[in-house]
Amino acid sequence: MEVYEVFRRAGHKEPFEHCGAVIAPDSDMALLMAKECFLRRREGNHIWVARRSDIHSFEDESLLEIAADKSYRFAEAYRGVVDKREKARRRAQEIASS
Amino acid sequence: MSDSLVPLVLSLADDELVLGHRHSEWTGYAPHIEEDVAFSSIAQDEIGHATALYQLVGELTGDDPDHLALGREPDDYRNATICERPNGDWAFTLARHWLYDHADSVRLESLEGSSNQELAALVHKIRREERYHLIHAEAWVKRVAHGPVEGRTKLIDAMAAAWAEIGGIFEEIDGEEKAVYQGELPTPTAELHRTFQERTIAALDELGLPTEIHSRADEQAEFVASSSGDLIAGRESPNGEQTDPLSGRGGRRGKHSGDFDQLWETMTGQYRAHPGARW
Repeated sequence: MEVYEVFRRAGHKEPFEHCGAVIAPDSDMALLMAKECFLRRREGNHIWVARRSDIHSFEDESLLEIAADKSYRFAEAYRGVVDKREKARRRAQEIASS
Repeated sequence: MSDSLVPLVLSLADDELVLGHRHSEWTGYAPHIEEDVAFSSIAQDEIGHATALYQLVGELTGDDPDHLALGREPDDYRNATICERPNGDWAFTLARHWLYDHADSVRLESLEGSSNQELAALVHKIRREERYHLIHAEAWVKRVAHGPVEGRTKLIDAMAAAWAEIGGIFEEIDGEEKAVYQGELPTPTAELHRTFQERTIAALDELGLPTEIHSRADEQAEFVASSSGDLIAGRESPNGEQTDPLSGRGGRRGKHSGDFDQLWETMTGQYRAHPGARW
């Protein structure tokens, strides 16, 4: 018997989301178990199972912490760019017409 | 404040900025889209480290960090020449990335114990990201080293080329004796270099990559130290000094290769064209 992680999708445009785990001897049986346990009240229209041992992660999760300033990855860092661009465009027109 | 701290921090900052700039040239061209994002992210990390290090220099000298990064003349930059070499192919980029991040890790381990508290704290922060860079470099080099013969051959050649110049990272820094005496640099560069060599030669051995050529690299003239395949001429400076293509030394004294001029033009062009402009 193995542990299978279960993912289900609520609608065609939704992402698959983890919803739990089942214990089963193989993937076919895991799907049946998952359907019974996690799709019994129309929670979704599609289901995946994956062996827990096939799921990989970092042994050291501190690698995922962001150590330094990464503000440039966020939209707030670029606030005011539209205004600045507009200002630059006006300035270019002024220069062209003078 | 100490006058031996400035050249030390500046050499770290310039290495990170210049290599970060080279790394960023892969944006849009890396072997596949996921790696494009990953490598660009590493480039941004390196430039972020440079920014923080220039800020530290600025606190010591009163200079504007932007000016330090982009407003100096080529001869004022203290980066090791290995950082300024063109990317060439992916193999050279990987070999340099792997060697540089090993070298960086050796010196940062030592600098985390610097007597200068600000530098020690900053290095602690930087090391958290550099640890990941090394994991990234190791993952790639391992796969290419154990992969098909074409990639493996390219990697061996690239490693020999990069190895010939990587020693420049450990070239003596201006005022080093004082920096060591005061504990700002807890370990002399020559000793860091030895640690680096022991560590990388053992790692190359484990990867099944040739190491005997590396240990003889200093005496062997047949290795080209340029990713483009050209022999490095070494730029004549006004006082007739040249960069040494086989050891990669010179950078810490502001002696750079012709490749640096091209990089400097691109990297600083915008800043020089619009003095004082703000983003």
